Amino acid sequence: MRVPLSWLRELSPTSLSAEEVADLLTRHGVEVDRILRPWDELSGVLVARVEEVRDHPQADRLCVARVAAGGAEREVVVGVRNMKPGDLVPYAAPGATLPGMAEKIERRELRGVASEGMLCSPKELGVSTDHTGILILDEELEPGSDLKEALGLDEAVLDIEVFPNRPDLLSIAGVAREVAAVTGADLMLPDTSVKEGPEKADDAATVEVKDSERCPRYLARVIRGVRHATAPVRAQVRLAAAGMRPLSAVVDATNYVMLELGQPLHPFDLRRLAGPGIVVRPADDGERLVTLDGEERTLGPEDLVIADVEGAVAIAGVMGGGDSEVSAETTDVLIESAYFQPVGILRTARRLGLRTEASIRFERGADPEAVGPAAARAAALATSWAGGTVLAGAVDVGQVPPRKTVAVRPQRAAALLGTDLSAADVREALARLRLPASEEGDTVAVEVPSARVDLEREVDLIEEVARLSGYDHVPSTLPGVRQGGGLTAPQRLARRLRDLLAGVGLVETRSWSFASSGDLELFPGRAGVPVANPVSEDEGHLRTSLLPGLLRAARRNVAHRRPSVRLFEIGATFEMNGDVTEEDRLVVLLTGPAAEEWPGEPRDQDFLDLKGVIEHLMAGLGIDDWTLGKPLDRPWHAARSAVLHLDEDPIGEVGELHAETAAAFDLTARVAAMEVRLEPFLAAASTLPALRDVSRFPPVHRDLAFVVGEDVPARDVRAALVDAAGALLDRVLLFDVFEGDPIPTGKKSLAFSVDFRAPDRTLTDQEADDLVNTISARLAKEVDAELRAG
Amino acid sequence: MDAAEALDTIRRARDEGVASVKEAATLEELERAEKAVLGRKGPLAAVQRSFGDLPEESRRDVGKAVNEAFEAIRTAVAVRGDALRAEADRTVARADRLDVTLPGRRPPLGALHPLTYTERRILDALIGLGYQVREGPEVEDDWHNFQALNIPPDHPARTMQDTLYLDVPGRDDLVLRTQTSPVQIRTLEAESPPVYVAAPGRCFRRDVADPTHAPVFHQVEILAVDEGLTLAHMKGTLEAFARSMFGAEQRIRLRPSYFPFVEPGAEVDVSCFFCDGAGCRVCGNGWLEILGAGMVHPVVFEAVGVDPERYTGFAAGMGIERIAMLRHGIPDIRLLYEGDVRVLGQLAAAG
Repeated sequence: MRVPLSWLRELSPTSLSAEEVADLLTRHGVEVDRILRPWDELSGVLVARVEEVRDHPQADRLCVARVAAGGAEREVVVGVRNMKPGDLVPYAAPGATLPGMAEKIERRELRGVASEGMLCSPKELGVSTDHTGILILDEELEPGSDLKEALGLDEAVLDIEVFPNRPDLLSIAGVAREVAAVTGADLMLPDTSVKEGPEKADDAATVEVKDSERCPRYLARVIRGVRHATAPVRAQVRLAAAGMRPLSAVVDATNYVMLELGQPLHPFDLRRLAGPGIVVRPADDGERLVTLDGEERTLGPEDLVIADVEGAVAIAGVMGGGDSEVSAETTDVLIESAYFQPVGILRTARRLGLRTEASIRFERGADPEAVGPAAARAAALATSWAGGTVLAGAVDVGQVPPRKTVAVRPQRAAALLGTDLSAADVREALARLRLPASEEGDTVAVEVPSARVDLEREVDLIEEVARLSGYDHVPSTLPGVRQGGGLTAPQRLARRLRDLLAGVGLVETRSWSFASSGDLELFPGRAGVPVANPVSEDEGHLRTSLLPGLLRAARRNVAHRRPSVRLFEIGATFEMNGDVTEEDRLVVLLTGPAAEEWPGEPRDQDFLDLKGVIEHLMAGLGIDDWTLGKPLDRPWHAARSAVLHLDEDPIGEVGELHAETAAAFDLTARVAAMEVRLEPFLAAASTLPALRDVSRFPPVHRDLAFVVGEDVPARDVRAALVDAAGALLDRVLLFDVFEGDPIPTGKKSLAFSVDFRAPDRTLTDQEADDLVNTISARLAKEVDAELRAG
Repeated sequence: MDAAEALDTIRRARDEGVASVKEAATLEELERAEKAVLGRKGPLAAVQRSFGDLPEESRRDVGKAVNEAFEAIRTAVAVRGDALRAEADRTVARADRLDVTLPGRRPPLGALHPLTYTERRILDALIGLGYQVREGPEVEDDWHNFQALNIPPDHPARTMQDTLYLDVPGRDDLVLRTQTSPVQIRTLEAESPPVYVAAPGRCFRRDVADPTHAPVFHQVEILAVDEGLTLAHMKGTLEAFARSMFGAEQRIRLRPSYFPFVEPGAEVDVSCFFCDGAGCRVCGNGWLEILGAGMVHPVVFEAVGVDPERYTGFAAGMGIERIAMLRHGIPDIRLLYEGDVRVLGQLAAAG
């Protein structure tokens, strides 16, 4: 809501500056976003009297005007000729600046005649869009005075963010009520009396409301004999400052009153209403109407229309129709002032995607008591600006709903706010807000003004008291919290997991939760959840996997010449399984060089780098019981991938990606990745490992190389070794894998570094040799291994 | 052996010993030379062994001569030893020479996401105030995201936030949560007061991305419900939080505002930690808008079956992105979601 300061001061006189008013309002609950000065760019334009208008000697379409702006007379060349001697016009002297014009006005020659500046149209001054002629100013202005001051174009406009619960602030009067409350200034609401002619409105038009639930009240004022005119320039300036386009006197009068009192009004050309009469009814199914914006709208019974006896002429509370619009030919006007049920307007406006000044006010709740006064004021303004006679009375159908009464306990207010508040404090605050209150025992009862739709229960009044006395007066204390703060075990583990991942040199990313259909194809087994109203097609579903997001991040980094990629992301994924299931996953991705520069090893990361990350995580989280199972289908590499099992349960997938998948993301190096479900992963983790005693006796060391078939998994060899060695095995490490001469073709050598150690004594060499023999025998039997050296 | 003989032996032993020590080419040779003259089988030891045979009056001179010889040779050994060790060090240094300005064998440096660091800072500050952490789903139903929060189906506040809806057959009430506030409802459905919880999480709005908006963003919600909680407690809590988070000198300012699920509601500004509230390029007027807050609306309590006459509470919410962007000087929210290590790596030292 844009509130011109002069208009505000008219209703609540204050000498405070725009900044001071804005600050006060903001601190007391009316948020002033910023202070606008719409005509900042305008300067050097003076009020001038036209002394003479004569033909341009060289050009038929130009004329030369001689004007006096206080001092010496000047001559300007003009392209239109709507001004005549004696008129007051805006004269932009050389050096003047106009809104939206980059360059200053200069003296220049036009077809042989020197032009010392220019005369301005309303459009050139940024007052309206009218560019048909020079703006003719009101006679009472002083020639030579600065136009900006004379028209109030120098004024500040408060841009107020109106919260949805405060539709009363969508009016100058509503904001003035707040100003009066916070400054203590008077509140002087506009005059809503109107001089009426003898003819009765009831005789001139009829109103029938067929849906009184959605239209509890409909009131029509009728004016006869208006002429086509424009509103006074000052009124146009106010409308423009408030962000509305001045059109014609009658329309401007209704808009002016809407801005002032918050009551949307609509003027119809009475002669273009069949009947003449208004019918308020639900639209017929498929009923069509061309609205003022030129669009054809298709309506249904859920929409309320204003119709004449033949057909719809307006969408109630939203927008009028083109056929019944007030035009230059209009002489008789019916001004609609109604109260519509908010929900109906909200639904219609939302369904049609139409947000108008009227719908915004009706859908949040207009003031039902403003219906009559607003119509009277608009009729009075319209006739004063465009002539004509206001008919006696109004065609008034329906009733004003009764006012609510809400009670507040001052004690409760004090208890909720934590301040000392007496009943008198409460009454005083309410009085300043013009909320009529009376004391009844321990409570203060408020008869809520009809404009304040937000005041429904006690706490609403407590808030009024709080904001009016100001939050600065609320003391600052800490509650006596009777619990220890902290993280749950899974939350601690999630932190530990992230730290471990960063600790092995992975960078955490976050990507949006959306997936394109291409992303979904990566894992066809996971059904995507469609978003009903996505911003773009690429965001049409919720992600079923974090992998595409990480692949995009990898692509970006490689494209920016950061080819050594080590990333992870933890986040929710979604699948459609009848219902929507939401599951957190962890994804890790490695690709490109293992080290960025010398002396790091010049090789690309692959499956074993990723497996190292997994081993690190498992050790760091205290998870022992994990295995890699069967290789996977696409998008994984058939030979370099596996299902990750925890205690037999598959919890994720590990592997290099299929080269085609990597290529689809412009990745040419091997891409190793894993994706696991977080919940079972963290559930298996342990935060409280128990210590096993460590032996104080020295180990006996043996290096043992076994030759086995090339397809025998290293895991099987190691498992057999560990099992055969039994309790005296301290540690076994694989230190070499070798194929080729002298190892026979089809075989490989696996060399283990083995430490034996007893908890209670020093082992003898003989005991160690016996253990090696036992191990060799077992490995020969189980994996057909031959001890090569030991 | 008489005294003259002894003294002669000593002198020779000393001269030869010093000479051989000086000639030693290696530390091993030096050790051998030292042992040859000073060892138990050496000439000086022999003199000492025959000490008892010497006449009483000459013992003193001979003893003194032996000691002087020992001293001279030891000094020579020390000097020669230092020279040889220095030579050895030089040799090793020549062989082991290394350009220490070469890059190190550096393990890759990982980093948590700036939002993770910031979220942890926020939660740690609240944990210090006695809060526990709760989480809720990102796919929410209309009840938890709106209705229970005093935003009924046709409430104008629904147009304040453009909601992303899901297209799930048979479930027309599923949305991507627009705020972390539904965790308030879930917590109060599951737990009885007193409740002091902080709820971090991802939220969604139907926004086209620009430097300050993204369809995905993160919030931390605070909820306190207990007997006798007041707006003053909310102010004190948020002040303590702001000081723990942004610096011990920070002040806060409450401005009345509107959120459907609280009343009274407030915007909470924190004094700008760049200019200490003097006003600067970042804050403009000395204050940074950081939190939205208010006293829990009785309608919310009624929705979850908590007696609003017995219990009161306050709630607050803040955007993690905004705080992270302020803390690290991140100019564009989209930089947080591109996975660009040139951005994320720079913030690896965050904490």
